Amino acid sequence: MTSELRIPDPLELEAAEEGRLRAVAGLPPLKRGGGEYAGFESVGLPDRPPQTEREREVYTLDEGEMLVNMGPQHPSTHGVMRLVIKVRGEVVIDIDPVLGYLHRGIEKLCENATYTTVMTYVDPMDYLSAMHNEHAPAIAFEKLFGIKAPPRAEYIRALVVELNRVFSHGLMMGFLALDMGGLTPILYSFINRDDVVDMLSAISGQRMLFNFFRVGGVNFDTNDEFMSRLGTWRAGVLKTIEMSERILTDNEIFRGRTVGMGVLSGAQAIALGVTGPSLRASGVPFDVRKAHPYSIYPELEFDVITQAGGDVYSRYLQRVAELKQSIHLIDQIVDKMPHGPVQAQVPGIIRPRPGRAYAAVESPRGLYSVYAISDGGPNPYRFRMRDPSFVSLQALPKLMPGRLIADTMAVMASFDPVMGGVDK
Amino acid sequence: MADVRRPRPTAEQLGRRRTLSAPAKAGALVRLLLDRFPGLASTIWTDDDTVEVQIDGAGNVALLGDLRDDPELHFWFLADAAAVDYGVGERFEVVYHLYSDLHPAWLRVRARVDRADPHIPTITGLWEGANFHEREMYDMMGILFDGNRDLRRIFMSPDYRSFPQRRDFLLPDDAADSQAAGVNPLERPETWDLTRLEESRAPGVMAGAGDEP
Repeated sequence: MTSELRIPDPLELEAAEEGRLRAVAGLPPLKRGGGEYAGFESVGLPDRPPQTEREREVYTLDEGEMLVNMGPQHPSTHGVMRLVIKVRGEVVIDIDPVLGYLHRGIEKLCENATYTTVMTYVDPMDYLSAMHNEHAPAIAFEKLFGIKAPPRAEYIRALVVELNRVFSHGLMMGFLALDMGGLTPILYSFINRDDVVDMLSAISGQRMLFNFFRVGGVNFDTNDEFMSRLGTWRAGVLKTIEMSERILTDNEIFRGRTVGMGVLSGAQAIALGVTGPSLRASGVPFDVRKAHPYSIYPELEFDVITQAGGDVYSRYLQRVAELKQSIHLIDQIVDKMPHGPVQAQVPGIIRPRPGRAYAAVESPRGLYSVYAISDGGPNPYRFRMRDPSFVSLQALPKLMPGRLIADTMAVMASFDPVMGGVDK
Repeated sequence: MADVRRPRPTAEQLGRRRTLSAPAKAGALVRLLLDRFPGLASTIWTDDDTVEVQIDGAGNVALLGDLRDDPELHFWFLADAAAVDYGVGERFEVVYHLYSDLHPAWLRVRARVDRADPHIPTITGLWEGANFHEREMYDMMGILFDGNRDLRRIFMSPDYRSFPQRRDFLLPDDAADSQAAGVNPLERPETWDLTRLEESRAPGVMAGAGDEP
């Protein structure tokens, strides 16, 4: 009588031991992917049947495929977001962005706040462009209430909004390099950024979430500290930008990783709802400041800049060009700024007549809009915000299949998403 | 249960049309809309930079497709898609904002949706990017977009049962004054899977008096 000696597979042994330990600890058994990676746990696999056709598509693994979670604590997801990436080796097959880690329900909070206090709630939406976040509701509420901000208030608004765009675009240049492993440019970006933030805190009293706009005007007039900081900054800003640019624009490694990477065609960008610099980098000249001029933009002289490429490098160049354009706009605004009051006469509790208003502004990330409905009460009946980074994020699963995991960060950073805005 | 603090106006009052004369800059667009869609004539409303039409939810794809593909209208860009809840017993509205470089006004299309049976066709066939908007509307309002391949929750967790932006979903502050005082509406038993709540309670922690409704 012969007994066949069977040598067990080490992976099998390991799995059996792991299963035994999990059973002792009272944990559910592990789920495993198929194919040659059968020994590895597929960490992204949800513990329930797929709810939609698309979810089934992403979470069904073929031979040799596995799921990798990037985030929610990954440093280059620009906040708290999880990307479930389906890979074969190092090649991305599909991406499913999982949102909601930062969801605060700002729309609902605003519907329970008065028109004045809404301004404090919208700041932490897209925390790198807090001034733009306040601009759109201010315009919408003024439309509802039927008042206009005084001319000087409009000029101050345009000034702080353009300053905000400068530091947001400047940071994007640094973060794009940081996500590809270049540490130096972010330090240069922060020189410029700190100058602007100090300036804005001199005028508004706060450093990042400014709470500066009011219905019918702005909170403070310009002061000596603000103007003096503005002058000092303006004298040196082009030089600091040139420094950052010199590190990146002609850098061979930077170009090697960005040129031809993540090419988004104009038609694709329109279909996906991508807006702002990312849309213009694909050659579509759509800028809300020109398309539906608001505030004092009809009085200012500027062109809509576009790039032809549609790749990561074009999106970077677009930001640099718009940064310089914003400085040009700031010069014009300071030059033309009139004297006068900065706040219209507004009652303590604002009760607009029943009606609805839509206001859109060009934020550094694209079209940011507010749709507000009033029912005659002291708080908005419906307050809807359309955040550009939320919509732009849909481009990522379209661009990445066939590319490497390491390039996912570069492509994502080129859209410059801010998770505070994505998750509301 | 509508807002308990003060009586909300009816949907009729909210949606009532103000009689404003159409501003000159939107005049061409209004004439064009009257010409192409005579059925919508009675719903056209204008603001100083917006032209608005109202339709039935079922007709959204046909209308938006016509608006996009007509060379004279040419509304090629979907700026926003959002849902509005007009209260219990009333209706939902899905509101689309469109942009065209031929016309100096936003075009707002308000599509009515039955609140008791909230179904509306998806427009992801026209603009792929409407997908995230529709997922958000489903997550927050519970509107079902027929034909959307990816209609699942986007902000809340997949096992969440409620729709937080509906008017009858109260915040704790409001609930203090209501008939349901004492029950945190965010954790109303009917909206939560209680077995999961029990499992998530750490061992040794007794249920406090405040936990019982």
